[in-house]
Amino acid sequence: MEKYIKTNLTLISFTFIPIFYLWDPNWLGFLGVQPYWPLFWLLPWSLIHGSINGLLVGLFLGLVLDSISLDYSFTQIPGLIICGIWFGKLSISANVFTAQFKYGFICCIGSFLCSSLYLSQILIKHMNENNILMYFPSIKNIFAQVFITGLLAPLICSLLFRLFNSSKERDKLINFKNN
Amino acid sequence: MLDIRRVSTNRWWHKKKNWVLFIFLLFLFFVRISKGAVYKDFYYLISKPFWPGQFQREVLTKSVEQEILIKLKQIEQDNKRLREILSLQRLSDSESISASVISRKTGSWWRQIILNKGTSAGVDVGSFVVGPGGLLGRVNSTSLFTSSVKLLTSPDSKIGVWIERVQTHGLLVGSGNDYPKVIFYNKDVDIKVGDFVLTSPASTLLPPNIAVGIIQSIDEELQSKKTANIMLLGKPQAIDWVQIIKVEI
Repeated sequence: MEKYIKTNLTLISFTFIPIFYLWDPNWLGFLGVQPYWPLFWLLPWSLIHGSINGLLVGLFLGLVLDSISLDYSFTQIPGLIICGIWFGKLSISANVFTAQFKYGFICCIGSFLCSSLYLSQILIKHMNENNILMYFPSIKNIFAQVFITGLLAPLICSLLFRLFNSSKERDKLINFKNN
Repeated sequence: MLDIRRVSTNRWWHKKKNWVLFIFLLFLFFVRISKGAVYKDFYYLISKPFWPGQFQREVLTKSVEQEILIKLKQIEQDNKRLREILSLQRLSDSESISASVISRKTGSWWRQIILNKGTSAGVDVGSFVVGPGGLLGRVNSTSLFTSSVKLLTSPDSKIGVWIERVQTHGLLVGSGNDYPKVIFYNKDVDIKVGDFVLTSPASTLLPPNIAVGIIQSIDEELQSKKTANIMLLGKPQAIDWVQIIKVEI
């Protein structure tokens, strides 16, 4: 069982992202806004497996998260795909302190990108109604999410990075490059 | 004797890795088609030990008092109207289902709550959800054990509302923060801070006269419209128990 879990760690952790997304505890929020969970998984995974895999997993994550969200008019897929590609092109410093800072900084930018793309969809959808100005106060959501995501990223991403790295040799189940 | 049997083949289905990938993609496809029902039901099962208790009155007493005041005033108005009108749309309480909130997303863009009652308890899509204080939202999707409620604060939410004091209709639109806005398509409407907002008697989606909120501030006039910020009476971030009520219009 332990061997099985270690071998399929990436796959198992992937399936738990929507559970965290649904859980979204209030006490872990900032100004009522919770962190953007999928980035914590996507960043270490794309760093290890590259841009192409980042793109595909970004797409899969977006599909699953859109399914459990009720706003069917808007999608999280574009933001996650762009982040997946971008994260795959980055490298992490060997220095632990620099790496931790980098995780936080990258997740901040990723969260800003995803939230901005989501807001732009809302604005585009409501453009014809002449009400788009009323959606601007929700820009607070973007900055609160950027802050809390960047704050938690060093802790969670470094943990996942170590776990994924250790199981990389054993686990090539969803490594599309090698297929 | 010549052995014509092939020693080895290299077909894709002979690789275990490809099968695992295929099953994984099939799983993703299933999640997409079922609108995440698998996840919601799984979440229902694992979150069961942590469901909220029944005692939270201290937190919500204020909202309940405000709701009762609005209801009393509205009942008086309704009685007068009923004498004049022979038929009036009525809210049936016989079909209400109690449910507890097992997941909530009340910050950020995604504003929804997930309840622990689904199609197995008779919840239908389109039913509306009220909590202490008033209306919270409408059931937007259901799974076997859960139902997902789109909150009034969601950027995709729009419902017809009614300002009881001036007898005016408006459109309540979620804007992605805790204060949805009411748009009045008449800039001369005489609304004031503190006016009660109820569901519209003309709405085809919801029964009339359910408490929604109080006008908190009035924005500058925009062209031919007037908008107002609403403080909702039902607080989805604090409520643990709600009532799901089937629409009978």
